[in-house]
Amino acid sequence: MTSDTVRAAPRPTAGTVPDKAPPRRRRLGDLPIAIVFVLPAAIGFAVFYVWPAIRGAYLSLTKYNVLTPPRFIGLENYRQLFGDHLFWNALKVTAEYVVLNIGTQTVISMVLAVLLHRLTRSMVVRGIVLLPYLVANVVVALVWFWMLDFQLGVVNQVIEWLGFDRVAFFGADLGIATIAMINTWRHMGYTALLIFAGLLMIPPSVYEAAAIDGASEWRTFWRVTLPLLRPVMALVMVLSVIGSFQVFDTVAVTTGGGPINATRVIYFYIYDMAFNRFNFGYAAALSSVLFVLLAGIAYLQLRLSRAGESDLKGA
Amino acid sequence: MASIRWGRVAGWAVLVLVMVATLFPFYWMLRTSFSSTRSLAAGAGDLLPVDFTLGAYRRVLGLSSTAEAVAEGGSTGTVDFWLYLRNSIVVATTVTAGQVFFSSMAAYAFARLRWPGREAVFTIFVTALMVPPIFTTLPNFVLIKDLGLLNTYLGIILPHLLMTPFAVFFLRQFFLGINASVEEAARLDGAGHVRTFFRIILPMSKGPISTLAILVYITSWNDYFWPLLVGKAENVRVLTVALGIFRSQTPQGSPDWAGLMAATLFAALPMIVLFALLGRRVIDSIGYTGVK
Amino acid sequence: MKRSLIIAGVATLLLSGCGAGPEGGSGPATIDYWLWDAAQQPQYQACADAFHKANPQYTVKITQYGWDDYWNTLTTAFVSGTAPDVFTSHLSRYPDLASQGQLLPITDLVTRDKVDLSMYQDGLADLWVTKDGQRYGLPKDFDTVAVIYNTDKLKEAGIKPEEMSELTWNPQDGGTYEKVIARLTVDQNGKRGDEPGFDKNHVATYGLGLNTSGAGFGQTEWSMYTMSNGWQYADQNPWPSRFNYADPKFKETVTWLTSLIDKGYVPSMDIISSGVGQIDTYGAGKYAMVTEGSWNTKTYWALKGVKSALAPTPIGPTGKRASLFNGLADNISAGTDNPDAAWAWVKFLASPACQQDIVAKQAVVFPAIKSATAEAEKAFADAGIDVKPFTMHVKDGTTHLAPISDHWADITAIMTETMDSILSFKSDVNALDPANTKINALFG
Repeated sequence: MTSDTVRAAPRPTAGTVPDKAPPRRRRLGDLPIAIVFVLPAAIGFAVFYVWPAIRGAYLSLTKYNVLTPPRFIGLENYRQLFGDHLFWNALKVTAEYVVLNIGTQTVISMVLAVLLHRLTRSMVVRGIVLLPYLVANVVVALVWFWMLDFQLGVVNQVIEWLGFDRVAFFGADLGIATIAMINTWRHMGYTALLIFAGLLMIPPSVYEAAAIDGASEWRTFWRVTLPLLRPVMALVMVLSVIGSFQVFDTVAVTTGGGPINATRVIYFYIYDMAFNRFNFGYAAALSSVLFVLLAGIAYLQLRLSRAGESDLKGA
Repeated sequence: MASIRWGRVAGWAVLVLVMVATLFPFYWMLRTSFSSTRSLAAGAGDLLPVDFTLGAYRRVLGLSSTAEAVAEGGSTGTVDFWLYLRNSIVVATTVTAGQVFFSSMAAYAFARLRWPGREAVFTIFVTALMVPPIFTTLPNFVLIKDLGLLNTYLGIILPHLLMTPFAVFFLRQFFLGINASVEEAARLDGAGHVRTFFRIILPMSKGPISTLAILVYITSWNDYFWPLLVGKAENVRVLTVALGIFRSQTPQGSPDWAGLMAATLFAALPMIVLFALLGRRVIDSIGYTGVK
Repeated sequence: MKRSLIIAGVATLLLSGCGAGPEGGSGPATIDYWLWDAAQQPQYQACADAFHKANPQYTVKITQYGWDDYWNTLTTAFVSGTAPDVFTSHLSRYPDLASQGQLLPITDLVTRDKVDLSMYQDGLADLWVTKDGQRYGLPKDFDTVAVIYNTDKLKEAGIKPEEMSELTWNPQDGGTYEKVIARLTVDQNGKRGDEPGFDKNHVATYGLGLNTSGAGFGQTEWSMYTMSNGWQYADQNPWPSRFNYADPKFKETVTWLTSLIDKGYVPSMDIISSGVGQIDTYGAGKYAMVTEGSWNTKTYWALKGVKSALAPTPIGPTGKRASLFNGLADNISAGTDNPDAAWAWVKFLASPACQQDIVAKQAVVFPAIKSATAEAEKAFADAGIDVKPFTMHVKDGTTHLAPISDHWADITAIMTETMDSILSFKSDVNALDPANTKINALFG
């Protein structure tokens, strides 16, 4: 009974796997109606995403300072990029940030979502969790910047009052971790809500069945909840990774990339290149590399999460 | 039984801890917003407002004269709060309605319809998530200008009206989870795809759709740089752009801290009210229809 | 085929913004004018009203964007052809815009209308002429550097205000300037920086604040020391071809500044990068004195809880003080629809009618016109601020023009990294050698 239910739910996701050999007679399938459904989004997509992306990819092959026409220089920007120590440093710093941010954010959000789901139906609690997301990135960063200030911040005053030395939260050693923490604070409610929406899609009958089988909460979570959350978790992970690779505002208003490049994340570097140094062609090349990198990571993530699903079914 | 109860206690403890960590910065913003900007540095560590004043809120609502604002160390500038509030509501509501609707249509096609090239097209859609916004801002601005839509609602709304890769991706993941038997039943009743979509899929997905709507609304409400570029004119200026006056105005300068915090809290207030009103309905509507 | 389409598209996109507007006559026109400082908007609105009264056919529409948004927004506006007719411009930005053909040269107009360039403070007008001899702006204001100190902290330290105006400095032992800084520094146990048992790791009040490492500019961080030590930024200014960051005089000055951090008299890089800013930290009484630019004066006097006074920057080994001399001007967009109207407005902004009669009286900035300086000094004095430590540089001829150079953004990037690293003790001053080589390589 239990195993039947568990197996039944993920079955539709089999549809995500490209049909290996569609029957010839159904080659067009639902194509006409599908076009109607996709068309509005496709128009928005082509105009506001595809065109700029193609343009950006072209500009990465040019010397372009925004205000005068681009000059085609082939792969010169990319050649320069591989010898640019700031680019490699930015990648390293960004990777540190992503690991710290995703690590804390995913765990906290998952715990939070499950607690919200199991413990309370209170709208107030749910609303409070989402509150940080209502505040713009820049303001969140400024508020924390104040609270964590070495000399004036309330957090450092508490630390000193407890008898410890003050902490340079935005110094070379801790800067990137602090920025990761601030963004975890802003996004944990948001991410928890995404996971929570996934939890709501799981039919209660599944839990009832697990309860009848005498499974503990812990066991139910690992054996039932988590596997059923896979599509949502895949989404959450892909989105968070992409989002955290593009971290920018928080750095811009706090450390500005310093001290000594310790927080110069890739997107901040790109922005600086484009708008401060008018080196838009080079910025486009950096963006293209970032794009390829992200696409690769997302592809891997989706592959891995799909592989997981088929494991479950085979069990 | 006892172990479960302890589990619940631990669970609540964690929840309370998260709540405190969430709320303390808000308290700090509130305390700052009731302080005088000129006195904040001297009373940096005070837990209560420094030199309590409502001046920041008066500045946000545009009630305070230039002289008053200067005297409190605040930003000067005219703020027609209610006009900007209306503009924000118009923009965020239209964007949310359009984006959620069109994206759910697309997501349905990607999740539930069978057609050649589906996976390929979807993959291309999703890769758009990775296009850095720095690519899109400039050409989109030029396009909006060429369409003659600068300083119009439509200009602000258009880039996000038809879709965002996120919305499509999000809804597709949820539509995938819907049990196929539901659709088959509908099909046996003779319902076409359009009817299935409107009568079955949409009502069943109220949970994820309302979640998405909330997130889209917030994102649209907080959007700053795009409306700053295309909608600086008074008649379409949205709240975030108008309240940008409280940010730092000069190089190496300091923001009007109290004004900025008051503006932030005030700008978030309409959303909080909105969700307080709608929230209950949203939660109640998340039934488990269709799973049987 | 496809690629040529794309290229054509790109070209269209770019060209669409660059079409030159029709030559406007002297008919009625609205001039679009941008500035970034909201605090100065009222005074320029007053100028705009006076301008409209004198030239009823022209109306000025002022739009204000905060500094953080200003240059992005302006760049976007240039690309799309929606740039303002006239905008407030900055020395670090205009060379790029000019070299990309976005600015209207006003050389001939200045000659034609016989604008008297000698009415501006000496040198300011030269800042707005590019290498090829074209002028792009007329100066609107100027700024210099001085010391702002907390009068209560000075009294507690037993230092007399008169001493503050006679301080001397040298890179070997820091002179009387360093003695004052040490004296003003207090640790958490109340021990002063010049007393035995001073704990440099637990400082309650730093004798001297610091904003950043100063990158390659150091306007308020170190320029008043390096230049009073006889150092110049480059072989010539404006438009240098060789920079001097590897010069021994520069190195010894930086070494001295680093020694102050090491002694605990000046906060470390970790601390200042973990802080909201020099102004707020000073306001909290954590800095006894700071070196600051004149444009921020009013902000310091607005702080509640601290009483401040101004002192001149110290006299260096050259026997003189030194301050950078910097200022803003208004630029005209190359694509303006109405160059006549734009020029009329720019000329008015640079005239005594705007600078002396209106701007000077607001006591926010020092207008560029010589005769308006006294007016501004008086306005500041009425607000209780004696600004002579700023203006004395101009009277005594101890000002040095701010460096105006091509590749400034690249220089800033290189020097930010290098100076951050030196002030954090991650590398020594010899790191300036490769940095300077890299910078000079930019100029071929």
